[in-house]
Amino acid sequence: AELRLSHQWSTKDVRHKVAQMVADHVSAANVDLDIKIFPAKALFKPREQYKPLSRGQLDMTVLPLSYAGGQQPAYNLTLMPGLVKNHDHAARLNESPFMDAIEEVMAEDDVMVLVHGYLAGGFVGREKCITSPDDIKGLQTRAAGKAFEQMLVGAGASIASMASSEIYNAMQTGVLDAANTSSSSFVSYRVYEQVSCYTPAGDTALWFMYQPLLMNKGAFDGLNSAQQSALREGAAKAEAYYLAEAKKEDANSVDVYRKAGVQIKEMSQGEFNAWRDLAKETSYKMFVEDYPEGQRFLDLALDVE
Amino acid sequence: MDPLLLGLIVAAVTIFVLFSGVAVANGLLIVSTIFLLVFDGVRSLELMPEILFGKLDNFALLSIPMFILMGASIASTRAGADLYEALDRWLTRIPGGLVISNLGACALFAAMSGSSPATCAAIGKMGIPEMRKRNYPDTVATGSIAAGGTLGILIPPSVTMIVYGIATETSIGRLFLSGVVPGLLLVGLFMAWSVYSTWKQGGVDALGGRSFTWKQRFEVLPRVLPFLAVIVGVLYALYGGVATPSETAAVGALLCLLLAIIIYRMTDFSQLWVMLRDSTKESVMILLIIGAAGVFSYMLSSLFITQAIAEWIGTLDVNRWVLMLYVNLFLLVAGFFLPPVAVILMAAPILLPIILAAGFDPYWFAVILTINMEIGLISPPVGLNLYVINGIAPEIPLKTILKGSAPYVGCMVLAILILSVFPGIVTWLPDLMMGTAV
Amino acid sequence: MRFFVTWVNRVNQVVGVTAAMMVVVAVAITCQMIFIRYVLNGSTAWQTETVIYLILGATMLGMGYVQRLRGHVNVDLVAVMLPPSLRKGLLIVAALASIVVVSIMAFYGYEMAHIAWAKNWTSDTVNAVPLWIPYSVMPIGFGLFALQLVADLIDTVDTPAEAIELAGGGH
Ligand code: NA
Ligand code: NA
Repeated sequence: AELRLSHQWSTKDVRHKVAQMVADHVSAANVDLDIKIFPAKALFKPREQYKPLSRGQLDMTVLPLSYAGGQQPAYNLTLMPGLVKNHDHAARLNESPFMDAIEEVMAEDDVMVLVHGYLAGGFVGREKCITSPDDIKGLQTRAAGKAFEQMLVGAGASIASMASSEIYNAMQTGVLDAANTSSSSFVSYRVYEQVSCYTPAGDTALWFMYQPLLMNKGAFDGLNSAQQSALREGAAKAEAYYLAEAKKEDANSVDVYRKAGVQIKEMSQGEFNAWRDLAKETSYKMFVEDYPEGQRFLDLALDVE
Repeated sequence: MDPLLLGLIVAAVTIFVLFSGVAVANGLLIVSTIFLLVFDGVRSLELMPEILFGKLDNFALLSIPMFILMGASIASTRAGADLYEALDRWLTRIPGGLVISNLGACALFAAMSGSSPATCAAIGKMGIPEMRKRNYPDTVATGSIAAGGTLGILIPPSVTMIVYGIATETSIGRLFLSGVVPGLLLVGLFMAWSVYSTWKQGGVDALGGRSFTWKQRFEVLPRVLPFLAVIVGVLYALYGGVATPSETAAVGALLCLLLAIIIYRMTDFSQLWVMLRDSTKESVMILLIIGAAGVFSYMLSSLFITQAIAEWIGTLDVNRWVLMLYVNLFLLVAGFFLPPVAVILMAAPILLPIILAAGFDPYWFAVILTINMEIGLISPPVGLNLYVINGIAPEIPLKTILKGSAPYVGCMVLAILILSVFPGIVTWLPDLMMGTAV
Repeated sequence: MRFFVTWVNRVNQVVGVTAAMMVVVAVAITCQMIFIRYVLNGSTAWQTETVIYLILGATMLGMGYVQRLRGHVNVDLVAVMLPPSLRKGLLIVAALASIVVVSIMAFYGYEMAHIAWAKNWTSDTVNAVPLWIPYSVMPIGFGLFALQLVADLIDTVDTPAEAIELAGGGH
């Protein structure tokens, strides 16, 4: 049998390597199963992958789950400021009743998780460091994700929406004063050439995005048990690798920015708390207003120590 | 089936369908439907509208209708004639002043229009009759304008550069800058050929200028200033921190609309509507091709054809310049028949990875590709600029226009060679203004 | 038949004018957005998405009108070389094939809009636009396009082979 996997990243990206690891494991297991990977949005646009996945026109994808937040509002919690504190906390979240509840929602769409994983990110400032909500007041900012935009507006920032690939030029010309995105995008788009300060994801980080390897459940159920267990084994191996690499990516971004002469300033615990309090008043509140059943999911997430 | 063989079949069917005379966008949808139906099953058809929608759901595309509107609003005034007249009065002492001012006007107009036929029409309406009146050979009068018009897609703004930027995810601002110096190089080559050809055909008299008084020269200047203001305004918005390239297009469109209404008194509603209608027509045509090409490339990718071709070329192990020669020949042939936008959308996603792997710069390649598309615009059988000229000057046989355009194709090939030997001509300006490429 | 052709032409004319106006509105909103951001240093969250949907809508809704104006570029090399009767046959076949795929697009476009409406899907931005609104330009636009293709086909069939003029798409 052949499974088709689509994602948006280059073949150098960790998320591609996670998919490749599963594919390699399955093919080495000799269970007559072949995973064909379509990287770099060769097949579907990033935000157009969830629908075909849930209908079985696509078998697998690696996807920021919040992209499908317009279809399942609960997914918006997988990109919520301050909900995840660091990578170890993220790993505990993956094993929690919160994730069980999210997986129930996925099951409604005939979707299941093979590999859990979170990636983190931080802030850059063109002229100054962005560590506390006060720092961002009055700045033109690009944020990754709706909940972040809501929180930053709450802090008095102005939002300019654009793709992460446009950050470099927008910073260079001064359209943007500050930006928030993932550690890997900060490196791959060479944003360090245009900024003076970088606030990376450290022991406390605001920006965590859940980006699992998903599979169509019908396609999984249609496989024989040898194929299924080969997939599960490969997935378990890939999940451990994903977590280790996610931590490395943050560290690597700090190295790159430091080498480029950019000031590195971490967020203190107090600053993190200030952001989180602000998020509770803005993004969390709006999330529940738009989606009253969401309170249950939010409580489950907040319960994870 | 082997994806490469399947690719050949798709190519054959695509050529067959497009040559049947069906609209290009519909043709791409027809071919995609056939192959998706046969190889992916009927359920894959329900993806087609979603992919088409997703392709057009892109902020960068916004710049296309806006730059078209910008060019159309200027082209619908007598701005082209003013521009040309002003240059004529100032460049008259230079040998071949008239044809040189025509080409200069083409280059300046190209800086305000994203499309080549628009540039061609705007300058040609005034320039061709004037050159004929002053005894320039018909071949030079028509060929220079046909060729000068093609600069519309090389000198920024350029609709085809935007499409390339979207298809390859390269920076549109940097692409624009990359086209500037090669555009000037082409203008220079065109001018040199025009003067030489006129001289050789015994038109020495034509080359001599008329004299204008300084008063005549200065009185025409105010009519050119608005253009310079628009160009400066757009450049400032683009590179001065006001807006992203897609937003700049809106500023340009607004400025040109205001220019047409206020300076050129285009207050008649029916006149405005014709301009709006024509620009909407062109935008819809191009955007629909973009959407349909998205469906087409989904089909190619889903059948693994794109990937197989890239892998196959990777194993060929040819010299990179031989590879570039083949790529150029392919683009040239495709450009003979298809509009530039369709060629770029179908070819860029397949070609770019190969080009990058061979160590070429994507911005340099964009310029080479654009010049190939310019050649297609003035070469038979489907040379859009030739038809524009034919429409403006129906008394000149198409044969003469063709004969006049051919040497300019030579200039473009020469330009490709020069740019291949000195790629710095392309990359110098963007590097200077934006730092080295990301 | 004539009634149908006249009626389709009229509807597409009106929708075409609407599409052109949508482009103008998009220009205005984009300039407003730049003003808010650059001059007032304010937030510009809703404009980007609105402008994208306006241009997308203008394109989809404009397809039928552009067909009426013969504005969809094509390669008519072969048609030019054929004798009139064969040329007419080729044009009819090409039109029928176009009508089939455009109708497929309209049909699945309707399903796409219907599901988005039934399941309450929204865009994943701060605006949370109900997706059935932008999606509905797909069935409407492709539907009007299909009707115009049918009307033009009727015209082609009614015209004597010798009198058929080729579209020769503008670019
Ligand atoms: Na131009
Ligand atoms: Na041609």
